[in-house]
Amino acid sequence: MLAPLGCSVKEQTGQDAAPHYVMVFDQNKCVGCGGCKEACNKANNLPEGRSRVILEQQSSAVAGQACPHCGKTDCDCQRKYVRVSCQQCKNAPCVSVCPTGAAHRDPKTGIVTMDASKCAGCKYCIAACPYNARYINSETDVADNCDFCLQSKLAKGELPACVQECRYDALVFGDANDPNSYVSRLLAVKDSVRVKAHLGTEPSLRYIPIVKLGV
Amino acid sequence: MDGTLEFTIGLSEGVAWPWPIAVYLFFAGISGGALSVALFIRFYKQQSANTPFLKASALIAFVTIALGMLCLVLDLTNPLFFWRILVYYNLNSVMSVGVIALSAYIPLVALIALFALEEEIRRLPMLAPLLPLIDRLRPWRRSCEALVLVLALAVCAYTGFLISALIRFPIINTSVLPALFVASGLSAGAAAAKMLAVGVFKEDRHSSDMQILHGAEWPIMFAEALFLFMIIMSLVTGNAGAQSAFEAFHTGSWSVVFWLGVVGVGFGGPLLLNFATGKHFSHSSQAFYLSGLCAVSGMMCLRMFILYAGQNFAI
Repeated sequence: MLAPLGCSVKEQTGQDAAPHYVMVFDQNKCVGCGGCKEACNKANNLPEGRSRVILEQQSSAVAGQACPHCGKTDCDCQRKYVRVSCQQCKNAPCVSVCPTGAAHRDPKTGIVTMDASKCAGCKYCIAACPYNARYINSETDVADNCDFCLQSKLAKGELPACVQECRYDALVFGDANDPNSYVSRLLAVKDSVRVKAHLGTEPSLRYIPIVKLGV
Repeated sequence: MDGTLEFTIGLSEGVAWPWPIAVYLFFAGISGGALSVALFIRFYKQQSANTPFLKASALIAFVTIALGMLCLVLDLTNPLFFWRILVYYNLNSVMSVGVIALSAYIPLVALIALFALEEEIRRLPMLAPLLPLIDRLRPWRRSCEALVLVLALAVCAYTGFLISALIRFPIINTSVLPALFVASGLSAGAAAAKMLAVGVFKEDRHSSDMQILHGAEWPIMFAEALFLFMIIMSLVTGNAGAQSAFEAFHTGSWSVVFWLGVVGVGFGGPLLLNFATGKHFSHSSQAFYLSGLCAVSGMMCLRMFILYAGQNFAI
């Protein structure tokens, strides 16, 4: 069925076998339905109402101009969404501050994930994360982050639950080190941005922002 | 649109590290500061007797670090997980390095306290089983003291490094913080120990040890004020995140804690009590204790301010 772990056909370029998994969030496609949150909750057996991803509603209205969504000049419709979740930094502050190595990088996939059996609940990682993308799971009392469903889905050869769930193709997941993967091809033709890239965290989440279509 | 794409909400609400951590930073600072000052004086004056100030410092250092550890453990999401921090290590983590330093520091402080309080222990029959231990370890006393001096300063500085690693908070993420915490630990630790030395261990308020302390407290306080000034200036002249964090110093309730608690009580209190009152009052025991309490409360306010105002102003 789905082949998330590199969609390439044979021609793997030998030496750079180490994957770099990235997720692309296309703001132009997200309608804010929240299906990703529910899928995340279910796939990862999280406490009720909790998911490793949330959506922030924003407005693209500019004061004094017609709102691009409703056309009114005076509106408060917030119809722009931003995915808020672990940015999967290549230089992850949570991994370097974690005193026990519970927040670690999976050696095989390079994905930042948790070893819940090692976490002491000190919350150092939560304070250190510049994206405020980590939280304490109230059932297990340990820190948690979006790890692209490493243990729940990728291990079974499936795509992350949110990516599978999204009906609007706002989420794309794949190996950026594989030049033939869909995500690589997408990033080659689309402008994308990373959040707070100036902090040097090298996030692996990429956003395709809504841009104003001017003259 | 300014910039490209940002989000302002997050997965955790409120501050990750609440007041027990500030109290821990406070206790660790007092512990390391009190013991460093006492051992400085001991080495500087080449003392071999157990002076009242050493007794007070050793006792305070042990009690405060023990209370600090309690705060730390109770702040874990599940205090029963604390063993994991002692079993698993990550040498890239400041906290893990701190755990290693503390696991050497705490037993050594206990030992220093045993040596320093030997006469008191002899007087209490209940503590008699400790005496053979003290006798057995006596040959290592000098080397223990030298090692614990290094560790005490390391613990003070470590509390600064621990939180300055948090890149999200401009007030906290500054290289000056460890220096500020060492300076304020030394001044408040010395103040706490000197009150205990006079109050419990019958030190004369005008003894030569007290005079050295009295002379040292102003330069240390000056260094502390200087470090704070450096932090403020780097925020004012810094980038957008730093500039917005500077608000912490002039808006909101934490700015009140800063100006009244840190500056007013912590700096103003001792200065006024010593220089703005008559010679009669400033040499009285009320002024002595009040000035000490001011230094200690100022330090507590500083830790609370740095932790809360720091975490409230994220980039």
